[in-house]
Amino acid sequence: MFQGGQKELKETVLDTGLCTGCGACINVCPYQASYRDWTVVLHHCDLAQGRCYACCPRTPADPGSLLPRFYDAADLTPELGAVKGFYIARAADEVVRRGAQHGGTVTTLIALALREGLIDAAVLAGEGDALLPRPVTIREPSAAVRQGKSRFVVSPNVAEFNRTAQGDAERIGIVATPCQAQALAKMRIQPVTASDGGIGKLKLVVGLFCGWALSWPELTSLLGKKTDLTAVTGMDIPPSRYHALEVYTKEGIVRVSLDEVLPCIRESCLSCGDMTAEFSDISVGSARLPEGWEEARLWNQVIVRSERGRELLETARRQGVLEFREVPAGNLEKLKAASLNKKAAAGRSAARRDAGGLKERTG
Amino acid sequence: MNNKPGEDGMSVNGSRKEGAEVLLMGNEAIARGALEAGVRVAAGYPGTPSSEIIETLSRFSETGKLYVEWSTNEKVAMEVAAAASFAGLRSLCVMKQNGVNVASDFLLHLTGSGTRGGMVLVTCDDPGALSSVNEGESRHFARLMEIPLIEPADFGEAKEMTRWAFELSEEIRNVVMVRSVTRMSHASGNVVPGPLPVLKGKAEFICDGPVSDVERGPVISAPVIQKHRLQQEKLRRAVALFETSPFNAYAGPDKPELLIITSSACALYSREAVALLGAEGRAGILKLGTTWPLPPALLKRHLLMAEKVLIVEEVLPFLEDQVKILAAEQAREIGIKTFYGKNDGTLPMVGELNPDLVAEAVGRILGISPPALPAAYREKLQEFAAMVTKREQTFCPGCPHRASFWIIREALQRDRRRGFVCGDIGCYAMAALFQAAGFHTAKTLHAMGSGTGIASGFGKLGPFGMEQPVIAVCGDSTFYHAAIPALINAVHQKADITFIALDNSGTAMTGFQPHPGIAVNAMGETAPRVEIGALCSAMGAPVVCEDPFDLVRTRETLNRLLESPGVKVLILKQSCALSPEKKGKKQFLVQVDEALCRGEDCGCNRLCTRIFRCPGLLWNRERKKAEIDEVICAGCGFCTGICPAGAILSEEAAKS
Ligand SMILES: Cc1cc2nc3c(=O)[nH]c(=O)nc-3n(C[C@H](O)[C@H](O)[C@H](O)COP(=O)(O)OP(=O)(O)OC[C@H]3O[C@@H](n4cnc5c(N)ncnc54)[C@H](O)[C@@H]3O)c2cc1C
Ligand code: SF4
Ligand code: SF4
Repeated sequence: MFQGGQKELKETVLDTGLCTGCGACINVCPYQASYRDWTVVLHHCDLAQGRCYACCPRTPADPGSLLPRFYDAADLTPELGAVKGFYIARAADEVVRRGAQHGGTVTTLIALALREGLIDAAVLAGEGDALLPRPVTIREPSAAVRQGKSRFVVSPNVAEFNRTAQGDAERIGIVATPCQAQALAKMRIQPVTASDGGIGKLKLVVGLFCGWALSWPELTSLLGKKTDLTAVTGMDIPPSRYHALEVYTKEGIVRVSLDEVLPCIRESCLSCGDMTAEFSDISVGSARLPEGWEEARLWNQVIVRSERGRELLETARRQGVLEFREVPAGNLEKLKAASLNKKAAAGRSAARRDAGGLKERTG
Repeated sequence: MNNKPGEDGMSVNGSRKEGAEVLLMGNEAIARGALEAGVRVAAGYPGTPSSEIIETLSRFSETGKLYVEWSTNEKVAMEVAAAASFAGLRSLCVMKQNGVNVASDFLLHLTGSGTRGGMVLVTCDDPGALSSVNEGESRHFARLMEIPLIEPADFGEAKEMTRWAFELSEEIRNVVMVRSVTRMSHASGNVVPGPLPVLKGKAEFICDGPVSDVERGPVISAPVIQKHRLQQEKLRRAVALFETSPFNAYAGPDKPELLIITSSACALYSREAVALLGAEGRAGILKLGTTWPLPPALLKRHLLMAEKVLIVEEVLPFLEDQVKILAAEQAREIGIKTFYGKNDGTLPMVGELNPDLVAEAVGRILGISPPALPAAYREKLQEFAAMVTKREQTFCPGCPHRASFWIIREALQRDRRRGFVCGDIGCYAMAALFQAAGFHTAKTLHAMGSGTGIASGFGKLGPFGMEQPVIAVCGDSTFYHAAIPALINAVHQKADITFIALDNSGTAMTGFQPHPGIAVNAMGETAPRVEIGALCSAMGAPVVCEDPFDLVRTRETLNRLLESPGVKVLILKQSCALSPEKKGKKQFLVQVDEALCRGEDCGCNRLCTRIFRCPGLLWNRERKKAEIDEVICAGCGFCTGICPAGAILSEEAAKS
């Protein structure tokens, strides 16, 4: 089942800039490690076949043939993967919303899953130093609120999952970017080995929509010129017509033109064709509403993909922890179009790579 | 050999054994010779194969009678010994071959100024580089500096020549060089101790005369031409003495077919080779003890005896060149000779010689094929060879250097700018010599202290596009020896380097001689410590001190340092596994939990025995599990932290 080892991982992913920094190859063995927002080989492993290669989201695997293994065939769409339902939702609790990126749906779902016992541990991206996220495992529902907000630098959440799975947690949930969800899916279809990382403990994947992530050294060097990094409280990318990255600081909002931001995109993200975390139970992203961004930013768009995702959302609705509003007409179509856009750009990027071309940044 | 040479020291020192044969190691014989000459000051820098000379003498050091020191480097050792000579005392300085390079700057001036009390320089060369990273030839220095060179060929001579060297030095008022080699210094043989002198004489530097007065004037090499001429006159006096020296001896037929000219350990090899071939009637051996300048009359007498001449010596053709020069000068009288040696390829230009190699060469010249080994003997040899377990050259179990390089490796990999280490001389040179021992981090290795100098240079290449971070490693002893000027240079030039002092509290490689960082000197007295950290701080470099056994913390520190500009100093402090305070005492009892050990599976693939490779860890092939060799494990506990499965368990050992 494994088709390569560290050597192939290094040659085809790590040395080519394709690594997403997801952390799937970390903490399964001592040979790779995560440092800052990059993945490194610490020591040389000579096994011809390894889980590092097999689970990496960037080693060859056909997502089209993987999806039917996890989702109802009837739910599958070519643009967005499995769609059981599409919603606009947000946390009912204002405290949660205040600490969240958008509507606080992710935080609410994680806290609920912990409270209901669906999971007994959750892996999230916490705040590290100097805009560098630090993956954390939480056990208490209340702790989820403190880890809200998006960090646009990758957080090796899968590495943290691997670590947590070796401990006493039995049922683990995770908030994952699309590449991380993909890695977890690949882990689920690997044969169990003696030192298996405990993928069987994975009970919930809350996926994040993701356009791209930024490289930490490049982001910090860019923002360092605009503002005091220690004063940054968060950031977001409003709809494309704003053409800006909004950086929230203690002194107010700093807007950085996307022209400056786009060169900071991680190389690997340019080849990624998944915008909505197709390998999750439930995916969450920002909303688009007729009232405009000021209102939309307080809501989420949610795709329910699996039975487990549906049950969780329904529990949230029953308990009143999530509020819903009607999905505006055309939203799903717009999302599908955006998703197809990303797939097409990834295709072009792959073709360019195959042709040996230099990386080209596109919005 | 049934009694260990010089074990109680009495055989070196004991005058009561005077006249009776005792078994001494070559280096002990040299020390004994110095004692018999009434040496008062001995200084040296440790370096295999020379270290036992100062060690032996230090056991007999006594205030006001014999002062012994391990100096910070060879040049300083020679300066210290020279001072004693200027004050009228007999003095000795000792070093290994490349130490003479270090001292040579001073030596050039010292030989120009001349000496007063007898002063002898002992150098121990290491043909074959058995414990060196070079095959340096110190003999050339004798010629370069125009001082006499003498070379013992057995243990009795080692003692006798050393004793005589002091007399010769006083006769010519200059330094005399005694050269030994590993096989002389470290082998043992019978020596007849002579009487120890009654020590007399007060140290006084008489310097109230004019510059031209070599006995009472200032000791300087000027006026240069005049002093240089005087030096050469004295050297001619040495040559005259060499003509009749008992250390030069011929053995063999009056008219041999082949004259073998040789010296030092090669004299033993030559005798054995001729015996092996049964060629005693055809080849004669001229064993030279005084090898520079060669006594021309003696050489002429022997060159006249044969048409064919083979010069047998190790490494470079020093003797060969000198013999050929004399032969050319005397060609009219001695006629045309056929020379064999290194220049024509009869003997190899590199590596050690041995009786077999010499026998082959002599056999080729005389047309005799060396007798084949009896089949039974050959079989036995192979059998024994198979019994010798192959041991990988690596750091000792529990060695802090292994932990240090493990951390350096991980920090450099995490840093991902393809950084590297400039290695240096000490046990930790192994990191560069055997890439598996240094986890493929150390990429340069040269003279003592050069790692830091080279790093200082690399650290200025940023503007040329070099992005790689540079680390210099340096042992504590090497730091005092030669790294300080290089580090000052790096600080002053604002080079971007991380300087790591591998402080294991002793000159571990050569056997724990004290150095300036230790509160005891060669005589066993307490001595003030010169702190590496304080020195570096005084240079203006930020200094951080960490424990190499604290993997996570030290790795973090190193990564932080790698990213900051300028010179950063990291002192990794942990004493050597063989240090007196640690040896034989385990801090932890370490065990492998087989149930947890992942072995060769994906998930570990034997990290501990395949990559980390502490000799204390074994791979059990049958059980496919790692295990601890309780006898070998030093109990440092570092490996507990590297096992991904937490299968290596350690428990604090009960304090005894
Ligand atoms: C790198 C990145 C790019 C994104 N791009 C888009 C996009 O193009 N379009 C879009 O609609 N939405 C995008 N999102 C998602 C969006 O920013 C919000 O995370 C999402 O709308 C959920 O909002 P929320 O209020 O429910 O989140 P919250 O309730 O605040 O919860 C956010 C959760 O995400 C976790 N998290 C934060 N950063 C990371 C990270 N880097 N990796 C993994 N987990 C993380 C946090 O720990 C927290 O649990 C992106 C998110 C990220 C991290
Ligand atoms: S993408 Fe993930 S699994 Fe692949 S090399 Fe990078 S960190 Fe490892
Ligand atoms: S504890 Fe581990 S690293 Fe230390 S000596 Fe024993 S086997 Fe080697």
